[in-house]
Amino acid sequence: MTRKTVITIFDYGAGNIHSLVKALDTGDGVEVRLETDPVAALRTDALVLPGVGAFSNASARLSTGAHKMREEILAGLPTLGICLGMQLLFDSSEEGEGSGLGVIPGRVRRLRATRVPQIGWNEIESLDESLPEVAYFANSYVCEPDSDDCIVAYSTHERDRFASVVSAGNAIGVQFHPEKSSSAGVTFVRDFVNGVCR
Amino acid sequence: MTLTRRLVVCLDVKDGRVVKGTRFLNLRDVGDPTELASHYEADGADEIVFLDISASVEGRSTLLDVVQRTAERLFIPLTVGGGIRTVADVTNVLRAGADKVAINSAAVTNPHLLTEASEVFGAQCVVSSIDARRSGATWRVFTHGGRIAADLNAIQWARTSASLGAGEILLTSMDRDGSRDGYDIELTRAVADVVNVPVVASGGAGSASDVVAAMDLGHADAALVAGILHDSTTSVGEIKSQMRAASLRVRYAA
Repeated sequence: MTRKTVITIFDYGAGNIHSLVKALDTGDGVEVRLETDPVAALRTDALVLPGVGAFSNASARLSTGAHKMREEILAGLPTLGICLGMQLLFDSSEEGEGSGLGVIPGRVRRLRATRVPQIGWNEIESLDESLPEVAYFANSYVCEPDSDDCIVAYSTHERDRFASVVSAGNAIGVQFHPEKSSSAGVTFVRDFVNGVCR
Repeated sequence: MTLTRRLVVCLDVKDGRVVKGTRFLNLRDVGDPTELASHYEADGADEIVFLDISASVEGRSTLLDVVQRTAERLFIPLTVGGGIRTVADVTNVLRAGADKVAINSAAVTNPHLLTEASEVFGAQCVVSSIDARRSGATWRVFTHGGRIAADLNAIQWARTSASLGAGEILLTSMDRDGSRDGYDIELTRAVADVVNVPVVASGGAGSASDVVAAMDLGHADAALVAGILHDSTTSVGEIKSQMRAASLRVRYAA
């Protein structure tokens, strides 16, 4: 029996990650860790950037390890960014001060809609059948990649069509909350974990 | 394309158990919050609300334990309300595993709480819970479980709440609450039409068609149901199929 596959959630210290931990914990052979130190978080088989809190706070928590984290992700560390965690893969955000990881060139902008935040279940427009058809969103900001090449799926809030899933190398970012998107979302998270275990 | 309309199931929790009664009277035990929440998720509910009606400190800490147990197996959003007074309360409930907090009386007493909570945790997790009762041509806000009248117009207070940082309004008609006569459509529409955040209609659901009316005529983004599901008057599936039949966008139950 080989050692367990380690999945580490980088914990910025804001909000709920219980459901995420549970969704990632697929059982035998997988160990889910929480880590508040960004460099220690990289001693892992896969990294998860969770989706709670504000950009500037998360950026500040990353700062000491942002450079190293960027290098590891670009070198192929499997990474799942959820909501704010997806936004952190980009360069910067209109929401606040601080830098993102710059793994994907682009910026984070406010939703161009009357009803902000977007709270609720929205459609994932993609041909990729491994994605949920409908997923739960709770966000005021969205990612705007410099190039469309990284975009895997779009979603539309009012008339604002935005990138709801992006990928670059082994990093994938989702603007929705798979851990709050019922069984289809949990399946998506488990597919990520299974991909790492293989 | 637009967001689906949400069906939100509310569970009244007292000292760690789900209870049913007319507000605070004639309470009886209907089950374990964690089990019931998962049961409604499996049925296709879009969201769960725990409304804590414990009066004691012990009941409060029991609630945090219940929230944590629930968050570990519930994969839809969980809102917790009841007795949230400070940013520390908000922090505790969110850390325990809630996705949103519903703030009622404390927001009226100290509106800054909405701002503070939304600055720290984001507007998406701050719900302004408003209990409104008709008063002449408009509606007045009540606090402390409906016992104390506030000097606030409900429509105005909804707008103010949103501008202070609430990302959602949970709007309860006290006139209809428990009546099963249907939601207060006029109140719901009056609020939904003037705020730029989602409005959850609450109070008065007697049937699946009442839910449809709250959304269709009342312009609510979501509707909260409790009693009619607990006693099997209707089901999540029945409500959702009526919503779909009325051409409202709904999430298909998994």
